[in-house]
Amino acid sequence: MGEVIVVTSGKGGVGKTTTSANIGTGLASNGHKVVLVDTDIGLRNLDVVLGLENRIVYDLVDVTSGNCRLKQALIKDKRFPNLFLLPAAQTKDKTAVNPEQMKALAEELKTEFDYAIIDCPAGIEQGFRNAIAGADRAVVVCTPEVSAVRDADRIIGLLEAAELRNPKLIINRLRPDMVKRGDMMDISDILDILAIELIGVVPEDESIVVSTNRGEPAVMDMGSKAGEAYRRITKRIEGEDIPLMNLDVPVGIMDRLKRLIGIG
Amino acid sequence: MTRTEHVALKGTRDGLVLYLDPVANFELLMNELDNLMKNSDQFLQGATVRCYAGKREFSEDEHAGLTTVLKQNGLELAGWMTSEEVYLPKARSYVPDARWEEGMSEGHCLFMERTLRSGKSVQYEGHVVVLGDVNPGAEIIATGNIVVLGSLRGVAHAGATGDRKASVSAYHLAPTQLRIADLVTRAPDDGTDGRGPEIARIKDDQLMVEAAGMSGWRGKAR
Repeated sequence: MGEVIVVTSGKGGVGKTTTSANIGTGLASNGHKVVLVDTDIGLRNLDVVLGLENRIVYDLVDVTSGNCRLKQALIKDKRFPNLFLLPAAQTKDKTAVNPEQMKALAEELKTEFDYAIIDCPAGIEQGFRNAIAGADRAVVVCTPEVSAVRDADRIIGLLEAAELRNPKLIINRLRPDMVKRGDMMDISDILDILAIELIGVVPEDESIVVSTNRGEPAVMDMGSKAGEAYRRITKRIEGEDIPLMNLDVPVGIMDRLKRLIGIG
Repeated sequence: MTRTEHVALKGTRDGLVLYLDPVANFELLMNELDNLMKNSDQFLQGATVRCYAGKREFSEDEHAGLTTVLKQNGLELAGWMTSEEVYLPKARSYVPDARWEEGMSEGHCLFMERTLRSGKSVQYEGHVVVLGDVNPGAEIIATGNIVVLGSLRGVAHAGATGDRKASVSAYHLAPTQLRIADLVTRAPDDGTDGRGPEIARIKDDQLMVEAAGMSGWRGKAR
C-alpha cells in the first residue's frame, strides 16, 4: 500500500510545483514507483516543469468524471520508467472535481504506486480541499518571508482541522548570505512561529530557473545546491534520518585575511 | 419561573418572556395563563412581557384575547419574539458586578490546550488561558483576562465588553495589537525579544506593560 503526500503552502509562488517535481523525481530515482498529481486545475504547471506538456491526452478531470481510465491518463516520465504524471485539466476550474472523487482517486493510486505526490494549488478554497482530501501526509513549503510564513501557519491550522497531523516543513529559497546580514528571516525565526518538524532547507539557486525552463528537475543535477537539498529531502521522506544541508557561505579571502590578523 | 402544562413565564436578562405551547388549543392556553397569573405573586404588576409561541401565528381575535388576559393581570404585551431571539440571546451588555470589580479573580474560564494559528478566532465570555502560542493572524476576544503560556503574537482583546480592570499576560508578549476594554495599542516597531513574562493592564487611562512576577518592576508606557 502506497502513501499519498500533499505538497502545499497557502501562498503562491513559493515553489510547491518545483518541490513536487523534485521530490517525485528524487523518489523515482531511488527506485520507488511514483505518481505526481497536479491538482491545480485551470493553471497547470507540473507538466511543464517535468517537460511532459506535449504528451497530455487525458487529465485529472477526465479520470474523476469517468471519461477515461486512470491508466490512460497517466503519462510516463522521459527519464524514469517508474515515474508518472497525472496532469490537471487546463480548460476547467477547481469545481470540476470534489473531495470525495479525490479520495477515491487517492485510494486507487495507493494500490498502484509507492508514493503519490499531490501538487496543491495556492489558496485555501476548493482546490486546496480537493488536494488534501485523499492525503496521508502533508509537506508545507514556505519561503523566508513574513507573508509566506503567515500563510503557511494558516495552512497548518487547516491541515490539523482536516486531521492531517504532523505536517512537515520545507523552507525554500533561503539566501544564507542575506540571513547572515540580518536581512532575511532565519530558520529559527520561522520554526518559532510554525513549530512543526523541518525536513529540509533549499537554498536560492539560479539553476532552478534553468532546470524548470528546460523541464529537467534540479534533483538530477549533481552540481546544483538546490538539487542536493532536494536529494536530502527525498531521503528524509523515505524515512532516513540524515542531517540538513550545511548552508554556510564560503568564507571570502578578505574575511580570512582579517581573521589572520585578528580583527575578524 | 412559573409554569403550567402549556404556558410558562420566565424572567430572562432581556425581560419577561411568556412561552405558549404552539400546538395547544387557544382557549386552554388562555385558561392556563389566567390561572398562572392569579397564582403568581403581585410583583409582576405593571411589567411588560414578550411572548413566544414557536412558528404559530395568532389571529387578530386571539391576539386581542391574549392582550386582555394579560391586562387583567396587570401585564402589558410588548411584542413577539422570534426563534432566533429566544435561542441566540443578545450579547449581555456589561453590567459592573461586584464580583468582577474585585480584581476579577473569578468567573468562567476557557482553556485552549493548543497553539492558535493564523485565521483562528476565539471569543469567550470570561477568561481565556492558552497553553501554547497565539500566532500572528489569530485573535482572542474575551470579556475577562487573557493569559498565554507561550508567545502572544496575534491580536488579543481583554475586557471586551468594557472592563478596564482586565489584563493580558503572556510568557512572551509581542502582540500584533493589544486591546483592553476601549483602549487599543500595538507593539513598538523596534524588535523587542527575550524580555520574559509580561502583563499588560490599564493604569491612569494608559495601557501599561510590566514584567510579571517578582523579579523587578519594569513598567513601560505604550
